[in-house]
Amino acid sequence: MIELSRLQQWMQAVVTHPGEIGDALAAAPALRAEQAIRPSPTLSPAERLAIYQGMYPLRMEEALRSDYPGLAHLVGDDAFAALARAYVATWPSRSYTLNRLGDNLPEFLRQGGGGLRRPDLLADLATLERAVSEVFDAEETPSLTEAEIAAVAPEAWAEAVLEPIAALRLLELRYPAGLWLDAIRAEGDEHRHPKLSRRDSRLVVYRRNYAVYREDLEKPAHALLADLLAGRSLGEALEAALDRPRAPQPERLTGWFRQWASAGLFRAVRFP
Amino acid sequence: MANRWGLPDLGIGIGLRTVHFPHILTEWPQLDWFEVLSENFMDTGGRPLHVLDQVVERYPVALHGVSLGIGNTDPLDREYLKKLKALAARSRAAWVSDHLCWTGVAGRNTHDLLPMPLDEPALRHVTARVREVSDFLERPLVLENPSSYLEFVSSSMPEWEFLARLAEDADCGLLLDVNNVYVSSVNHGFDANAYVDAIPADRVVQYHLAGHLNKGSHLLDTHSDHARPEVWDLYARAVKRTGLVATLYEWDEDIPAFDVVVAEAHKARAAREAFAAAGTSAAPR
Repeated sequence: MIELSRLQQWMQAVVTHPGEIGDALAAAPALRAEQAIRPSPTLSPAERLAIYQGMYPLRMEEALRSDYPGLAHLVGDDAFAALARAYVATWPSRSYTLNRLGDNLPEFLRQGGGGLRRPDLLADLATLERAVSEVFDAEETPSLTEAEIAAVAPEAWAEAVLEPIAALRLLELRYPAGLWLDAIRAEGDEHRHPKLSRRDSRLVVYRRNYAVYREDLEKPAHALLADLLAGRSLGEALEAALDRPRAPQPERLTGWFRQWASAGLFRAVRFP
Repeated sequence: MANRWGLPDLGIGIGLRTVHFPHILTEWPQLDWFEVLSENFMDTGGRPLHVLDQVVERYPVALHGVSLGIGNTDPLDREYLKKLKALAARSRAAWVSDHLCWTGVAGRNTHDLLPMPLDEPALRHVTARVREVSDFLERPLVLENPSSYLEFVSSSMPEWEFLARLAEDADCGLLLDVNNVYVSSVNHGFDANAYVDAIPADRVVQYHLAGHLNKGSHLLDTHSDHARPEVWDLYARAVKRTGLVATLYEWDEDIPAFDVVVAEAHKARAAREAFAAAGTSAAPR
């Protein structure tokens, strides 16, 4: 009798093999199909295994497509299917949830995985879509209320350290990936594809009332928010912002901060 | 006949699916209960969990998982079990079910419901793990018979015998998927009636019904269509033995409008009403 763990390791090697069933069996010589699997009146042992083997890449592709619809749209169905196979061969699921399957896809693309053209653009788009997924599922943490903000004495704000909500990601990309998502979501199948030329793009992705929002940020705004998320006090972050080349007026900086606070980006304020 | 734990007959329900959220949240439609896919709600603090919290205020729910891997030879995933237990408490789940299958080995997950060899060592292996899970969850685990497309040379007993012995030895409940019985019976050439006749009636706490696809050489369990008449006949036969048991219609591919799924689920009424009208108690197991 074949030991259960040996049987499972062999069968897993076969059903997750990306090639034809004959190649899959040849690559898993620990057992022969006939040793382990009975034929049916209509199917040989190899053909029965091929049912499972055929469903595996479709299931993986579907999960990745669900998390990266914009990327799938950009590269096209066939290329995305090939990309999914190449990615899963390198990064198979090791989690009980398929939600984590695509965690490494942006880095995989940036390193040229999948052999697709414009890997930096694809990686940026995947980075943005991964952030959207993370924000969608992040823990719900209540935002600072207007009353809590008003309760902070004006002179105390310089020392204030802001804690962000869990459902927030700050991104700095080399392509305007958000334009692509806007375009394909705006008009369904009738949309027009924007030209995606190299242009720095900075965004904040956050969730409020269970809806995910994405906002473009100017470079100084991104730097200010990055400092706040890194734990610098509001006073330190504003000072650093004013020291940068082409610094905006202080009123703009504080305006951005007020906008973020009212959008619910912060969960707590503390005074170390 | 009530199941041996006194778990309730929740009536006729359907799966809670994302595409139906807007309809459910605006209409709060008449329905006996919802089945919730555990993994879809275990790792999110976002909208899905927010919706579930509202649903459980209005409907009974039961949890149904696909990633427990009760037949895996890797150790049980304690982190998964902790999250499953927490979700069961949060959703006040009537019970927690998964499948008699393995899902992956050596740390990997195929996210498929892979068949077990139906032999003595596998039975001992699964029995020990079911006991461990039930102890951890502090409730009897409920296991579903999966559809399968292959049989192992080492199998020494029919699936119904494996399940009956497992249920007895591990003291677990059974989720009898009648469509899966039918699909596997065609794929492996056994008598579906014999299967449902042999399942211990007082262990069955839930039924599944669904549609499948005929691929010519085999049937494929797709959850993408109406159930075939043969499956409804099998369900009626099973209900005569078990009595009224919570029944759930699964539709997971090409999901139609909420009312279409519910209408399909309500076809189960015929068998349930026939049983009730007969006024007889179910046969003992």
